[in-house]
Amino acid sequence: MIKKIFKRLGLKDKLLGLIVPFLLLIIWQGAVTKHLFSELLVVPPLTLLNTLIELAKSGDLSSNILASLNRVLIGFLIGASGGFILGIAMGLSPIINRTLSPLVKALQQVPEFAWMPVIILLFGIDEFAKNIFIAIGAFYPMLFNTYLGVSGVPDKYHELAQVYQYKSHRYLAKVILPSALPSIITGIRLSLGLSWVFVVGAEFFGTEAGVGFMMISGRQLFQIDVVMAGLVVIGTIGFLLNYVLQLLEKKLSGGRVAFDGGIA
Amino acid sequence: MNISKRTKSVLGSILLPVVLIILWQYIFSAGYIASAILPSPHQVIKTFIIHFTENEYSFHIISSLKRVLSGFFIGIVSGFLFGLFIGLSRTAEKIFSPSFNAVRQISIIGWIPLIVMWFGVNEFPRIIIIAAAAFYPIALNTFAGVRNVPREYVELASVYGYNRLKLITRIILPSALPSIATGITLALGMSWAMLMAAELFIPTNIGIGTRIQIGREKFNMALILVGIITVGSLGFAMTSIVEIIAHAADRGRILRKEI
Repeated sequence: MIKKIFKRLGLKDKLLGLIVPFLLLIIWQGAVTKHLFSELLVVPPLTLLNTLIELAKSGDLSSNILASLNRVLIGFLIGASGGFILGIAMGLSPIINRTLSPLVKALQQVPEFAWMPVIILLFGIDEFAKNIFIAIGAFYPMLFNTYLGVSGVPDKYHELAQVYQYKSHRYLAKVILPSALPSIITGIRLSLGLSWVFVVGAEFFGTEAGVGFMMISGRQLFQIDVVMAGLVVIGTIGFLLNYVLQLLEKKLSGGRVAFDGGIA
Repeated sequence: MNISKRTKSVLGSILLPVVLIILWQYIFSAGYIASAILPSPHQVIKTFIIHFTENEYSFHIISSLKRVLSGFFIGIVSGFLFGLFIGLSRTAEKIFSPSFNAVRQISIIGWIPLIVMWFGVNEFPRIIIIAAAAFYPIALNTFAGVRNVPREYVELASVYGYNRLKLITRIILPSALPSIATGITLALGMSWAMLMAAELFIPTNIGIGTRIQIGREKFNMALILVGIITVGSLGFAMTSIVEIIAHAADRGRILRKEI
């Protein structure tokens, strides 16, 4: 009996959550049928759905998504491995930490997009420039979370490792990394999330493929349905990346997920 | 003893920048890289001084600050109210938060093409983008702060017969303050980051981002670096000011609680 009520409550909550999307859909459709806005600016909801299906059918969608994901992956691997290595070094050695952290803090003050002109001037506007741009974004969250994880390893573990006379690589592999793992996974999640955010920005600067490219060319051709389809794709993939890594994080840290405060 | 330790740590932290600048000067003098790509430190400092002594640059800085602050204030006020609203009412949370979380999955940069199509290339979409960047962190942190108010406080308030308004202003807001302050600091950082995207992607003649962009068009790396230093230090200064204010407010709160 009680279970039934709980189930019904759960359903009720879900229905409440549908009110806003439903109302928006009605207003949207209403605005279209009443011709409140130009058709160039607001397309009917069904047209958007059609566009999504057509883009998916023609293979445009998947090829653009793959191009973006490919960039994300390369940029993320460069940036996150840099951040990971530096984070471990700074976490283990106070001297390295003291020497590097002022520089890192100073560089971190520069907004990501301010680097774009520098990168374009140095490397041109091709694939490599975009990878570097994404790598810069992926670098910081990985660095900070790895550092937090490594520097947070309890002293007891260190002493125990000394008692067992662990060699340094063994100490790293058996003590430091397992203990810092939850924090490192948080770093991976945030840094992958930012990579996905920045790939779209990088593609706004000109390219021949990618979700950002799809939206920019949609804008130039005044196909607002393509631009909106791009938004749906950005949101869905961003959500999936975050969701999968959050599951992993939960599993590794016993149900705890770091709160990112809404920045990623 | 203590002082010498401190000097040592200060020396340690300036060591790397000094080494890098010397290396930079050396690479420049050896002529490995064209000066358009890598200007000498001297050139950058000269450009810096020239720019800061002319009125035009301060005009760009002030315009960018105005832009970012108007977006920031719109974002934190609306984000705070929204966070408070869904924090106070469970029903409101159930109605609004699924849609909010769905929309939040779309990165703000992604909205730029659509917003430009709707509102054109002018100041309005730039401010909207900056405001949206501030909105998410402040809304989420206000919500978290309101929800984490200890139950006993609320019970105590009902014992004292506080009405709803008094409960919010005397109990909920003060106890959510640290979280709200975190939200404001994050929001400022996000607004500042988004300012650059707004100035690059929604072209304008005025602003620091524009100056950096002009440096790129003119192949003038010194100009770009001056812009980057300006943006970085202003961002740092603003975040520090907000952190100090937040800290002071938090201290005031603790002191009042003790009294």
